[in-house]
Parts: sequence; structure tokens; C-alpha cells
Amino acid sequence: MASVDAPRKPERRLSKTGRERLVSVGRHAVLLIWSFVVLFPLYWIVSMSLKPPSEAITLPPDWIFLPTVYNYIQLFQQSSFIMAFANSVFMVSASVILVLIIGVPAAYVLSRWKVPKQRDVLVWILSSRMLPPVAVVFPFFVIFRRLNLFDTRIGMIFMYVTINLSLVVWVMKAFFDGIPETLEEAAHVDGATQFQAFWKIILPAAKPGIFSVAIISFIFAWIELLFSLVLTNDTAVTVTMQVYQFIGVRQIEWGMLAAATTATILPVLLLIIAVNKYLAAGLSFGVVIKE
Amino acid sequence: MSTPTQTTPPNGSGLSRFRELWNDYLPYWFMTPMVIVMLLITIFPGAYDLYLSLVKYNLANPATIGQFNGLTNFETAFTSGGAVNSFTLTILFVAGALALETSIGFVLAALVTGVRSSWMRTFYRIAFILPMAVAPVSLATITRIMLNTEIGVIPYLIGDFTPFTAPSFLSDVPLLTIILVDTWNWTPFMFIIFYAGMSSVPETLLEASRVDGAPLWRRYLHVIIPYMKPVLFVAILIRLIDLFRTFGLVFTLTHGGPGTATELVSINIFQTGFTFVDLGGAAAVAVVYLVGIVALCNVLIIKIGFEGVWD
Repeated sequence: MASVDAPRKPERRLSKTGRERLVSVGRHAVLLIWSFVVLFPLYWIVSMSLKPPSEAITLPPDWIFLPTVYNYIQLFQQSSFIMAFANSVFMVSASVILVLIIGVPAAYVLSRWKVPKQRDVLVWILSSRMLPPVAVVFPFFVIFRRLNLFDTRIGMIFMYVTINLSLVVWVMKAFFDGIPETLEEAAHVDGATQFQAFWKIILPAAKPGIFSVAIISFIFAWIELLFSLVLTNDTAVTVTMQVYQFIGVRQIEWGMLAAATTATILPVLLLIIAVNKYLAAGLSFGVVIKE
Repeated sequence: MSTPTQTTPPNGSGLSRFRELWNDYLPYWFMTPMVIVMLLITIFPGAYDLYLSLVKYNLANPATIGQFNGLTNFETAFTSGGAVNSFTLTILFVAGALALETSIGFVLAALVTGVRSSWMRTFYRIAFILPMAVAPVSLATITRIMLNTEIGVIPYLIGDFTPFTAPSFLSDVPLLTIILVDTWNWTPFMFIIFYAGMSSVPETLLEASRVDGAPLWRRYLHVIIPYMKPVLFVAILIRLIDLFRTFGLVFTLTHGGPGTATELVSINIFQTGFTFVDLGGAAAVAVVYLVGIVALCNVLIIKIGFEGVWD
């Protein structure tokens, strides 16, 4: 993981021939084109959300305009949007905490003990991610109705846990594999119990992993639409559901739609920028960090 | 099960008895909640889907719910329910998006790795992972605005600044459009993993091949790609699994249409189960889909994956 930004070796800086310069220009040309492809839609939706309604969809577009927060005020005056937003923040955060509590200790065991049929257990855990949500949502729909979990926050929190559990176990197992066992042995010599060694020594050492996997779990739950579409109705409605419903409205208010979209993207955007260094390690299920 | 040796002095009081149990069986306590949840989320839906697929379960027809139906649900789905069409579309979609995301992600990673200035590298790296922050449903709204034939900025730019006329993306080339939009959304995933993998190729290996005077493409073919094999494999496997899950983006963007031109299996199942409230029919398609994906992934993992990847 540390090698992600390894400093270039000095010998690379040798003689800048014309050919090398050409390669460098070509390289940046391609990278800048892709930057444009990536950034333009983001710029567009944010700028739309900051335009007064009369200018939102005019063509040719007003490239220069006076930004206004009018759309955001409109949006946040709608109680349903605030509630959906708060709902999502609460349910997604709660599910992340829960999935960590369930997944991290299990990953620790899978890393340190010889679990019977270890490989099968790991593949079985991964298989929960292979199940397409659409194939599991109807069984849960039926059972949620029976158990009165339909349209409840607890039900949604549970569904979010199901999305992320395999991810947490896999990533954290890889992280624990990378922490030397001598650390625990030293703790045992000092008289710590197994749990104390785990709690006071291993968990703090695995912090970067926990951090990155928490963020990734947050993202996957935050962007989820299907479960809220089928399993919520009113009380447990999510922010993605709100954005979805905006499109269904006959007369679309473009400015507000853009503002709602921006509001959905922004929290995740900030998180991603904050942890972009750890992201690769978490996403690659530990393969990259073994270095 | 070899537990680290741990001696607790024998003690009679209840609390320390509890502590002893807690410590001696720690691995079991640690595994139990995970195993319970896993059973709930793998065995239960699978078994329930199987049950639903074999009975009549149409919410519009409550009287017949639960009646054994044999394989009729499967027959209906695959003869008149559009399941065959949706399976074909899904394979095209997954193959197209996976190929694009893998190749673009790899090229971007290779290019960024070669950037010398460190702040430029950071800029590219952060910029290139941003799309992952966009929820598919949000991306779909952005796309619908930007591609709209009347008010969209992209047809406008194409029409005004290039000699071409923009196609009406969502109605003329719907499948290609959803592939491209998904590529925008998820190439970052491939990019960031490949980038990390490429950065971890030991400099000595690269140096050796450079001294040998190997041309660039040979360096990739014989040094970098073999070294990155586990990284490539895991990234492609995870992305493959997630592509089969695609729902929100396509559902919001096209609703499976126009007609059934983008009706992926997940959309087909959703429509059958939610719009036509035929849970039995939906489950039949789900069972086939589920078995197919799990079988495919298991073949990939067991035949190819575990050698040198995870142990």
C-alpha cells in the first residue's frame, strides 16, 4: 500500500530527448482528455444546480452565470428530501458500524486460526456478493411483510449489511494477514488475554484497513436503489429513492433535480477524496497490499 | 483448531468462569454472528427463490398463492416472458462494459504511473476516481439531462462543433449508451486497483528489462502483466460479479426500453416481480440467473483464481 506513491527512481530523470518529450506530451494529452470526460458531467450537474431555473436548460448554455443557491433552498424546504437524506445518513452509517462489528472479528479468526475448509468458507462468503440483489429482494420482501420489517429502518440496515458483509470479511482478512503474529505473542507474554490482544493490539494496527473498508461499505450502501425501491414505502425512504422519484414527476424542475443529484454525490465525493490513498487497498480485496 | 496457548488460573466465581468461556472459545464467538448472517443472506433467499419458482405466487391472484406449479414458471419465463432476450442482453452488456472498463482502466493506470510530476499524478488519480462517488441513479439523471435530444448539452456540442449529428442516444443505441455510461461510472474501480498494482512492480524487475533493451510492449507482456496477474484477476472477477448486479443505472436510465432493448435480467426479474407482481415467475428467472452466476464465478475462482492469488 505504501508503494502506491513510491517516489520515482532518479535514473528516470536522465536525458530528456526529443522522443521522450513527445511521449510525455502524448501521455498528458490522453490523460487530460479523460480528465475532461470525467469532470465535465460533474461540472455540468453542479453548475446546473447553481443556475436560476430560467437558465438551467437553455441552449446554447450560459457558460458564464451568477451562481444562486435558490435550487438548494427549494430542495431543502421539501421535508421529504431532508427526511430521505437524514434517513440515508442514519441507515447507511448504522449498517456500516454493524457490518464492521460482525465482519471484522470473523475476518480475524479466518486470518489467525485454521478454520476447517477455509477456502470453501471464503468462497461461500464471497458468493453472497454473487447473488444479484434482484434475486434476493423478493424473498426478503415476503419475509419482511411477515415480520413487519417492511418499510422500517431496521430492515434497510439489515439489507445494507447483506451487501457489504463479504467485502468486509475479505478485505479485513487480507489486512490481518499482513499484521505479524509476533505482535499478539508479545501481548500474551505480557499476560493479555486473547480478547485483549485483539482489542488493544490488533485492532489499532488494522485501523487503515478498517477505515478504508468502512468507506467502501458506506459507498455501496449509499448508492443502492433496488432495496429501497422494493422494501420501503414512506418511513424508511432513501435519498437515491428521492432522486429516482424526481424523474418520474411529469414536469421536471431541472434545477432542483440537479441540486438533489449534487446533494447525493457530494458526501461520497468528500469521503473518496479524503481516503483516496487507502481506497485501492480496500477495493482489491487485499491483493495489492500483500507487497 | 490451534489456539494460541493461554493459561487462565482456575477460579470458581461465576464472572471469571464466564471470562474463561469467553476467552477459550473466542474464535467461535467471533465467527458465530457472521455465520448466522451469512446463512440468512445466502441459504435463505436461494431456498426461498427455489420454492417461489415452483409455486404460483401472483399477488394479483391471491387465491392461488402457494399452489404447486411444477416447471410452469420457468416455461412461461423462457417462452413468453422475455427471459431469453434479457439473458442475451445481459451477456452483451457485461462483456462490453467489462472489456471497456478493463482496457481503459489499464491504459490510464499505465499512463499515470509514468507521469513524473507528483502533483500531476495526484491530480489525475483523484480526478479519475471521482465517478465512483456518483450513485447510478444520480448518474442516470445526469445522463438523461445531458443526452436529451432537445435540451441536452452533448447532442448540442456534437451538432455544433463536429461535422456529425448526434444520434438520439437512448432510443437509437440504447445498449451501447448504457455500456458507455457504466464505463464512465466504474472504470475508476479498475483504474485505482491497476494503478496500485502497477506501482508495486519492483523497480529492479523493470530495470532489468530496460537494460536488456526490451521494447515497451514486451516489458508489459513479459514483466508487468505477469507480475500483476493476481491484481488483474481479482479486479476483473469483482467487476464481473458487480456487473451482473447492475440495476439502478439501467432501470433509471431506460427502464429496460425502448421496448425491451435494454431489459437486462435484473430488470426483467424486477418487472415480473414488482410490476406484474408475479413473484413465482420472477423467482424462476432469478433461480436460473443465480445458478449461472455462482457456477461461472466458482469455475473462475477454483480453476484459475486460487493459484497464487489468495494463498
